[in-house]
Amino acid sequence: MNIIEININGNAIKADAGQTILEVCRQNDIEILTMCHMDGISDVGACRLCLVQIEGSNKLMPACTTKVMPNMAITTTNERIKKYQKITTELLHAERNHTCAVCVANGHCELQDMTAKLEITHIRYPHLFPDCDMDTSHPWYIMDHNRCIMCTRCVRVCKEVEGAHNWDVMGRGHEVRIISDYHTPWGESETCTSCGKCLHACPVGAIWPKAISQGQLVKNPGMINDLVEKRKMNL
Amino acid sequence: MMNAAFLKMINVIVEEFSHSYLVPSFLTLFMKSSVAGDWVTQHAKDPRVKLVAAKMKKENYRPDALIEILHTAQNAFGHLPLPILHFIGKGLKLPGSRVYSTVTFYHFFSLKSKGEHTCLVCTGTACYVKGAQAILNELEDKLGLKIGEVTKDNKLGVQAARCIGACGLAPAVVLDDEVHGKVLPADVLAMIHEKTNAHEQAGTE
Repeated sequence: MNIIEININGNAIKADAGQTILEVCRQNDIEILTMCHMDGISDVGACRLCLVQIEGSNKLMPACTTKVMPNMAITTTNERIKKYQKITTELLHAERNHTCAVCVANGHCELQDMTAKLEITHIRYPHLFPDCDMDTSHPWYIMDHNRCIMCTRCVRVCKEVEGAHNWDVMGRGHEVRIISDYHTPWGESETCTSCGKCLHACPVGAIWPKAISQGQLVKNPGMINDLVEKRKMNL
Repeated sequence: MMNAAFLKMINVIVEEFSHSYLVPSFLTLFMKSSVAGDWVTQHAKDPRVKLVAAKMKKENYRPDALIEILHTAQNAFGHLPLPILHFIGKGLKLPGSRVYSTVTFYHFFSLKSKGEHTCLVCTGTACYVKGAQAILNELEDKLGLKIGEVTKDNKLGVQAARCIGACGLAPAVVLDDEVHGKVLPADVLAMIHEKTNAHEQAGTE
């Protein structure tokens, strides 16, 4: 343990040298918005909602992948950050097809909560409406790429917690899609163990069990971290 | 319970009723096909498969040698057929999704055949000004090929590049690996015919 002192929003705070800004903020009850972060799995800095301002740097840095340094002066919220958070969330809406009224995750969706929290009433950007498939080949679950926000939480939970690595990301830019195996239908995957962890990791309604309807998808994302902690204890 | 007899029974049930609703869909979970195994045993004598296998062995089946091995496979086959990806994934003990994501991330790798001969038209600024579009239009009119398409007999594929760095030769075209500069649309067509016909003659000999 190497304790250092940093400054967050004008308050002096003690932190461990190896921690990320996000971890320190969560420990000290300082609010940071996140979407692609999930306790128990690694961070990739994909959603850009946790951006913070660091004194001496012109760029905003993602709190989830930036490590604390001695005497770092961090601002977690200001007008600039709020503006970017709004833009990011609106772009998430505009990129694919998010219609809460018909979504299984209605009322239990992190994107919906985020939109309400940031008081977004309109999407200022044209919707892209890309040609996305819906994979219903798995006997128990459905994957709807129209609702995916590419946070890659399912990919990381499958790789790191379940160890199956059924999911990954193909392509780049607008063409990115979550794929199972060799872009084979989910039901024909040779690696999927049908454990359902990706379903609990998904922040939106992109993965859900068959035979449920609008607003009925209730998830237990905390289960992933509990599982990781329990496995550590078993060692 | 998951022994061979059980699996065989499941396969029989599914095959019998595969087009009806009688099969509970969860049974498909127990059907694991081995695409790589079958294909590789059928093509074990194919020198291109041998080349990929040798490269994997040379790289000591290291997972981080994936890109080098994909290069070898793409050079041998001209593109990356799916069974070869299965073969490489099995060999390096990499998840299939990781192999596929690497292949689709880099523009160099192609899942579809690029054709036996390729005609790459430079569409950089200098070539565009000097008439690259006229060449592309001619190819589309006479051969019916747009950018990224391949003829039905897989003889010729047309591609475009932003700039090949030969602006002094504008408009430039790369036929297979030869760069041709200051070309007219008719010249390109003539050279393509020469290429494809030479191939036909070599094939009949």
